Amino acid sequence: MERTIALFLVKNYNRGVVVVISYAIRRILVLIPTLFVVTFFVFTGLELTPGDAVSYMVSPDVLANISPESLEQLRESLGLNDPFIVRYFKWMGGVFKGDFGYSLSSGVPISEIVFDRLPATLELSIAALLISTLLGSILGTVSALKKGGMVDNILTFIGMIGVSIPQFFFGLVAILIFSFKLGLFPVGGRILPGHEAFLDRLPYLILPSLVLGLTMSAGVMRYSRSSMLETLNKEYIKTARSKGLPEWRVNFIHGFRASLSPVIVLIGFRLPMLIGGSVVIEYIFQWPGIGKEFVAAVRFQNIPLVMMIALFMVFSVLIASLLIDIFTAMLDPRIRLE
Amino acid sequence: MDSVKKTKLDKKMDLIKQKEELGLLKYKSQSRAQRKFFNNRLAVIGLILFIVILFVTIFAPVICKYSPQKVELLNRLQPPSSEHIFGTDKVGRDVFARVLYGGRISILVGLGSALVAAIIGVSIGCYAGYKRGLIDGIFMSISEIMMSFPRIILVLLLVSIVGQSLWNLLVIFVLTGWGVMYRMTRAKILSIREEEYILALKAFRLNDIIICYKHMLPNALGPILVNITLSTAMFILQETELSFLGLGVPLNIPTWGNILNVAQDISVLKENWWIWLPVGTVISIFVLSVNFIGDGLRDSTDPTQQG
Repeated sequence: MERTIALFLVKNYNRGVVVVISYAIRRILVLIPTLFVVTFFVFTGLELTPGDAVSYMVSPDVLANISPESLEQLRESLGLNDPFIVRYFKWMGGVFKGDFGYSLSSGVPISEIVFDRLPATLELSIAALLISTLLGSILGTVSALKKGGMVDNILTFIGMIGVSIPQFFFGLVAILIFSFKLGLFPVGGRILPGHEAFLDRLPYLILPSLVLGLTMSAGVMRYSRSSMLETLNKEYIKTARSKGLPEWRVNFIHGFRASLSPVIVLIGFRLPMLIGGSVVIEYIFQWPGIGKEFVAAVRFQNIPLVMMIALFMVFSVLIASLLIDIFTAMLDPRIRLE
Repeated sequence: MDSVKKTKLDKKMDLIKQKEELGLLKYKSQSRAQRKFFNNRLAVIGLILFIVILFVTIFAPVICKYSPQKVELLNRLQPPSSEHIFGTDKVGRDVFARVLYGGRISILVGLGSALVAAIIGVSIGCYAGYKRGLIDGIFMSISEIMMSFPRIILVLLLVSIVGQSLWNLLVIFVLTGWGVMYRMTRAKILSIREEEYILALKAFRLNDIIICYKHMLPNALGPILVNITLSTAMFILQETELSFLGLGVPLNIPTWGNILNVAQDISVLKENWWIWLPVGTVISIFVLSVNFIGDGLRDSTDPTQQG
């Protein structure tokens, strides 16, 4: 008897894994055409920019001392005289191998710039994501539990203000108050030379991540409030309550946990917004991340850098949302079946 | 006094009754939505704020005697006074005048691009959602691909390609904004097309265009209106953000974002708060009012929240 139960469990567990994997494969297959179109769009943009494509495909050191004949040879060997489609596929092959070309202004390989700035952006985004998720889901739950009451109204109102204030304006006010008037935090930047430990960096991180996190938690709060309200109307909450469970257990063990899964999905949707939001915040706080680099590239019309950073961000958004989809499919069996 | 009022009300009541008997009372559901909207305190406050700010910017020349462009080097960086309500900026221009005139452009950009994006997105979404098939698939995947870009990244990318100008910015906002409208309208139409009256219309062999634009679209109008207001708020925020970065509307045109642009300067940020703090507050209040209106519209038009 025990053996059959164990076998049944193993069999079913495996089936679940298989379903998730097949779901993941389907999702990846859907992703492929998107990748093609996005890369094609970026490549066309690169092609349409005035200027010789050689200037971002070859290191400027090589380009500096080169004769016209060997330049022509170089063009031929790089395939710049090939038809458009052939060039596109060659370029894409390079991109997937990590060859992003060279920045027009500094001549540094773009992949180097991106991976150099990536840790700073990740640090800021993850901190903001943590703050907004924690704060947003807790406040949202509280206001759902106190629906229609004073606390709910105040929180909803504050949330409204949160989505209405321009993020950068909020950042500027925060700098004025906390850096200039109170002197609590440094005005901007990330690391002082010689102080690379995380604790030394922490004061620099607090203000930008709080600004980014607080403005984002308004949306999370709203969403988790409605999710919690929906959960509280479910039959099993009534069952739990009629079993005589204490109210906090009903709310937090039965309600809050179940209301979280749509919130996780929301975080997936928020990723592009997080990356987009961090562009402006990085710029204000002089945070040396990808966003600040991107703004500088747009300002100096450094199109190859603009295009490749955008492409990199789209890649990361697509991959992150893929992972979140798979994760939620593992949590919620209903999603796999769609 | 009291009796006069009563008779007035009675007359009104009689008129309504008369109309009802003749079957002239139309759009009962709409008036219900209106009632619900006007009973929502925040929505009404939002509407009032919206109208006040709109009128103040439209009648800027009447309200403010200064020109937003006039440079007065003798009056540089004056703090707020009775002469200049919001003070003056680095070259002596009156900040209050700039806020008023800047509002015109910012609101135009926000409302204009939201409306055009809505017209494009809704007209495609309505037809594609009704017909399904190839057109729907094509537009769906285009919008999906555009939405895989973080919004501001796509906008900045397009700015770097086409260059900065007011019209370019409007076009870029419309290009990046129609997708949301399209998807929302399509989703709504998809649920409407399963209703039986559509089957009846089809049985009468009505023209497809008449079915979807005349008979289906009005039923999807609620969420569309909500979305237009919310996109207006979003586009205004985006315009200020881009102009703050110096990548939006060219700096010689005063807009709310361009006024804030000077706050990039640390000394202005620290010492001359009056140049950027009031503008930011005005933007926040305006966007807040638009969001309140949007929320009120959502509550009053969403049938799932009726009751």
